[in-house]
Formats: sequence, structure tokens, C-alpha cells
Amino acid sequence: MARRWAAFAAAAAIPTLTVVLPILAFLTLSFFRVEDNQIVRDPNLGNYAEVFGNPTYRGTYLGSLLLCLQVAALTLLIGYPVAWRVWRQRGRVGALLLLLTVLPLFMSYIVKLYTLRSLLGLNGLLNQALVGLGVLEAPSKAFLYNQRAVLLTMTVVYLPFVILPVYLSLERIPHRLLEASTDLGASQWATFRHVVLPLSLPGTVAGALFAFVLALGDYITPQMVGGTSGFTFGRLIWSQFGLAYNWPLGAAMAAVLFLTALVVIVAGGSIARQGRV
Amino acid sequence: MRSRGERAVDLIAALFVALVLLALYSPVLINALFSVVALDDGRIVWESFSLAPYRSVWSDPDVIASLRNTVQVALFAVGAATVLAVLFALYTDREGAVGRQAMELTIYLPFLLPPIVTGLSLLVASAQLGVSRGIATIVVGHTVFVLAVTYRLVRTRLEAMPRSLVEASSDLGASSLQTFRHILLPYLLSAIVTGALLALTLSFDETLITVFLSGDRMTLPLRLWAMMRVGFTQDINALVTVVLAISIALAIAISVRMKPAEFMD
Repeated sequence: MARRWAAFAAAAAIPTLTVVLPILAFLTLSFFRVEDNQIVRDPNLGNYAEVFGNPTYRGTYLGSLLLCLQVAALTLLIGYPVAWRVWRQRGRVGALLLLLTVLPLFMSYIVKLYTLRSLLGLNGLLNQALVGLGVLEAPSKAFLYNQRAVLLTMTVVYLPFVILPVYLSLERIPHRLLEASTDLGASQWATFRHVVLPLSLPGTVAGALFAFVLALGDYITPQMVGGTSGFTFGRLIWSQFGLAYNWPLGAAMAAVLFLTALVVIVAGGSIARQGRV
Repeated sequence: MRSRGERAVDLIAALFVALVLLALYSPVLINALFSVVALDDGRIVWESFSLAPYRSVWSDPDVIASLRNTVQVALFAVGAATVLAVLFALYTDREGAVGRQAMELTIYLPFLLPPIVTGLSLLVASAQLGVSRGIATIVVGHTVFVLAVTYRLVRTRLEAMPRSLVEASSDLGASSLQTFRHILLPYLLSAIVTGALLALTLSFDETLITVFLSGDRMTLPLRLWAMMRVGFTQDINALVTVVLAISIALAIAISVRMKPAEFMD
């Protein structure tokens, strides 16, 4: 038995040092405060009172939750039909479509932001096309540097993270179940409604979860395409470690984000497990 | 037989897929186009075709320095994550291993959590330990992030391995090192290589953790971000195109090695 524990201690040393202790360190820091650019080690809940008491911070937090819910809903609404259609497509075309939907997962995040931003800008192709088609009289500023631009960009960037898990859970449905449903006289819609949709629930939940958590922690997208009006909770945390220079407050905000993500992951995980085949 | 209604649904869904693929790829393709031609008053000037932006990026010392940092970080992080993945998988695969679930949780946690949490927790820890930020801190950040992927692939392969192979080897008198060298390692090799390639792709693109740990050493994505804040230039378009080409090459190398179903499970 002692040997087993010694082996565990050896194996756990590195994850403890690089994952567990850093998380504990930042959680501890969230109870301290800053005075004259010095961290004062006097444990209290002041930072948490500030996060939830200050209307700006609270508003930013709630606004970000709403934004992430919208991102999750939109990516799911777009991603599910795409995954479903790719799954229905057999043969080489199907394989190619799958590759095309997976490939964006490998593309650099910062590169996607840059290309989307240049597309949405005042001189961007979207404006040029709309003016060229006569839809707009002059290029519009409506597509960039506002909350809508953040939502739109996050939806495009995080969409592939939803398509893949939905596709994989559709792939996992045994063919005989679909055949049985059809043999029993169910219409295609009935088969979809009562067989395909419930059995693809784990992937659907996982996809929505990915989109939500990724959007929640994102602080570069809001800055790149949101401008001054695209202020999110992630960006607020980031600014505490940069310009505002209040690490303990930033740590408290990050702790709130951490707990939110954890609750979402655990809740989503249990829903997904219940639906597993 | 497919009904007419069913065919209509399939067709509409196919058009929808085409539209979504257009939204995913057009920004990237347009960017690649504008890295070699100029736009004048909404018209593409084909005569302006030139590869000069690529030459100019290649001779930018800041870009080259960041590329060198990125390669250095990737080599160390992928190497460390690969070795740790094998060690941890061998540990958690043992019968009656203590704390298996706790181990797996800490391995997967940095991958599941928002990167901002991973990044700033390592920042706080290194500040408290008095470690100054630089290549080493970025390597640690990337290692804990990509370890989830390398570990997952090795662990899954190890689970599928017939126990009899290892038992036969030790019955025949092989030491555990010999068994590892001649039985386990060859069996795990393709999972290790695929995991390393995936880790390489992730490390190459990682931004949200790196920002917290970089200090004054910039990786390629950070350099790109800094350049973008200034504005849009053909040089950035060119650099972006190169970065994309590298990512896509890695993605294709990975896709021939693994089925998408192995990505997550």
C-alpha cells in the first residue's frame, strides 16, 4: 500500500505544481487587496463584494452571461443542421464536407479574428458588396465595434466547436435503430423527432457547452471587434492584470468566471451522460 | 425510396451547409487574395499582383524573432507533454492506481477551463515564486494545455491493448524496461505521434494563455495581434496567409492519421 501511495505522489507531483497550486494561488489572491500598488495579505471578501456590488461589474458579468448564451444558442441553431446534413451525406462528398467543417478548428484563432474584422469593417468586403448591390447607399459602421459584431464574430469562430461534437453523436447512432423506426412506419420527421434528436443529445449539449465556455473566457474577440462598447467580463478581468493593475480584484472576477464555467460544465456533463446510448 | 418532401429538406439543408462553409472560408480566402493584390475603390486591381508583402514580412526582424520563440516553445512544450502523457497513462492504467480520477481531472482541467483562468493562475503562481516571465513560463502554460490531448490519445490506445501482450513479455523473463521498449512503445507509437502533431497545432496557435505568461517574449500569434492593433496592411495579410497554410498542413497531416471520432470521447 505504501508503495502505491509513493507512486501516486511521484505521478501527481507535476500536475500539483502546474495546475492545482496555481489555481489555489489565484483563489487565495482573490481574498487580498491592493494598496499603493502593493498586495496586502489581509484575507477578506471585499473583492467579491465589489464584483457583485458594483453595478458596472455586475452588469458586465450578467451581460456576458447573456452574450455567451446567445453565442451557444446561435452556434447550435446553425451548427446542428450543418452537422445533420453532413452526416446524411454518404461517400466521398460526405468525407470532404466533414473535413471542411473540421478544418477551421485548426485555423489560428487570432487569424480568424483578423480576417473577420477586415471583412466587417467600414472598407470591408461586406460593406463593399452591399453598396455594390445597391442595398446600402454608403458603407455602414453598423457591422463593427459594437456588441452585435462580438456576437457575430464569436458565432463564426466557435461554430466548428459545435458542429464536430454534434456530428460525432449522430455518427454514433446505430443504423438498425433508424431502419427499425422506418420499418415500423414512422415518417422521416417522426424518426428524427423520436430517435435522432434524443440520441444526439450528448453531442448537442457538449457543443453548446464548448461554445458557452469558450465565449465566456474570450477577451480578445471583444477587444478586436467590439471596440469600446464590446466590454465583456473576460475583458474586465484582463484589464485588471494590465492597465487597472488590481490583481486581487481580477483574481476574484476570474474565480467567479471559474465557478460559472465549472457549474456549466458539470451541469452539461450530467445532462449529456443521461442521454448517452 | 425518398419522398419528394425529404429530397426538398435535403436540398435546402445542403444549401445551408454551402452558406455556412462560405461564411467560414470566405474571410480566409479573401485575406489570402489581398495579400497579393491591392484593392482600389472597391475594385480588385489584378495588375498590382506582387509577392513583395511576403518578402517584406520575411525580412521583418520582429516577425522572425517571434517565429523563433514559437518554434522553441512548441518543441519544449510538445516534448514535455508527450513524455508526461506516456508516464501518466502508464500510471493511470495500472490496476489499483491510487487517485486515478484526481489525476485525470487535473490533466483535463486546463483544457476544459477558459484559457484565461489557466493563464492567470500560472501568472499568479510564477509571480509568487519569483519566476520572471519568458519562454519558460510560456512552455509551462502550453504543456499543461496540450497535455490533455496527448494524454487522452495515449491512454485510449493503452486501454485497447490486450493485457496478454505485457503478461507474455514478463512471463518470458523480460524486465519492465524491456517490455516498455519492445512491446508498449511500438504499440503506442502512432498514438504518440498523432498526439504530438495535435499538440503542435494547439501550441502554434495558442494565444489566450500565452498573453499572460509571455513577458516581453512574443510568440507569433502575439506578434500578429500587436501588428493588427495598428491596422490593416498587406504585410499582415501575407503573414496571416502563411500562418494559415502551416495550420492547414498540420491539420491535413493529422486527419490522415486519425478518424474524427477519436477527437473527443
